[in-house]
Amino acid sequence: MRKAWGWLATAFLISQFSFLIACTSIDCPVNNRVRTVYALMKADGRPDTLTKDTMWVWTPRVDGTDTLISRKQQNNLELNYFFGSSATTFELPISYTQPEDVLYVLVKNTAGTIYHDTIRIQKENTQHFESVDCQASYFHTITAVSTTHEIIDSIVINNPNVNYDQNTTHFKLYLKANR
Amino acid sequence: MTKIPHISSSISRLTVSLLLLVAGMGSTKAQVTKMFTLEKDSIPLFCGFSVSFDLVGPAMLLLNDHGEYEGALRVNLHDQWFPIFELGVGRANHKKDDITELTYKTTAPYFRLGMDWNILRKKHQPNRMYAGFRYAFTNYKVDIIREKMVDPIWQTQSDFGAEDMSCNMHWLEAVLGIDAKVFGPLHLGWTVRYKRRLFHSDGTLGATWYVPGFGTNDNDQLSANFNVIIDI
Repeated sequence: MRKAWGWLATAFLISQFSFLIACTSIDCPVNNRVRTVYALMKADGRPDTLTKDTMWVWTPRVDGTDTLISRKQQNNLELNYFFGSSATTFELPISYTQPEDVLYVLVKNTAGTIYHDTIRIQKENTQHFESVDCQASYFHTITAVSTTHEIIDSIVINNPNVNYDQNTTHFKLYLKANR
Repeated sequence: MTKIPHISSSISRLTVSLLLLVAGMGSTKAQVTKMFTLEKDSIPLFCGFSVSFDLVGPAMLLLNDHGEYEGALRVNLHDQWFPIFELGVGRANHKKDDITELTYKTTAPYFRLGMDWNILRKKHQPNRMYAGFRYAFTNYKVDIIREKMVDPIWQTQSDFGAEDMSCNMHWLEAVLGIDAKVFGPLHLGWTVRYKRRLFHSDGTLGATWYVPGFGTNDNDQLSANFNVIIDI
């Protein structure tokens, strides 16, 4: 009988050790942001910069209107991204569930000339779950993109899959050279 | 210049070596025979059944939001081989998380089939130490719900998740176990298990969290059971 309890004690120690090893951990991805990455490109395929130009991007909220300039209506628009002159790539968020995102782009050159353009991104949205400890998110597959070609010469889908991977370029954005 | 040995000297050297080997074998023949002769054993091949149930799973259910009820039927073959069938019900009820606001629910059966070997040198004694393996499978349905998820930029609101999402998993387990006779037919014992996922279908949301019988979903998992075992 004493021998039996000795065995159990040994087994108990082994199991405690195993529990320590098996201690639960929260394994959420380090990067859990779902963003789109845009690369500014020249027509010859080399990276472009804004040089001394400045760019803003807006998007209308679900209750917003589509006018850009009005100060009052700017309050209804959420995004207000500002890019430094040396930027060759930039990130923008993507909506969780909308089938189409509309982005208003405004470029101002050093002479003060303002150009505005509109980008429309069509996409399919997929729910993504990792664990109860990690925030729920949406991944996306971009199906189409278009622009009004005011200052943007063209926009091309480079990688249609938008997920936690931030080391990829989703869009190549070609601005007109004579801006 | 390299010296090439004469072929007749090589043959004679081989002959002498073989003769010496045969002579040596003659003296150790008795030992060799003893080594390879199976000892007669009065213990029969079939030594009965045992049933067991695990206490760690219910304790986890009591203290945590997931766990298992599990029992097993084991056959004793010559106190050496132990084919085993394990059947359980795994359950998770993670109510709305304080931070992520996710709810996770599943209740499903699972089974394991495998074999343990008594790795002690003296097999016919009340205490045993096992090494073994299991193949396991579960087919489960899960509810993952996150209500009223608001997009921070666009301010749209959506209900995230799926109900009755069908998933399954096949996995293998390496088992190390120990059990000790307490009195009569009653044994108590522990098993430590390394679980390795083989194939899985996680439904439409990318992944699941708790898998009945396996634990939290990952490539591998380590766990332990405390078993109450009754010999039949």
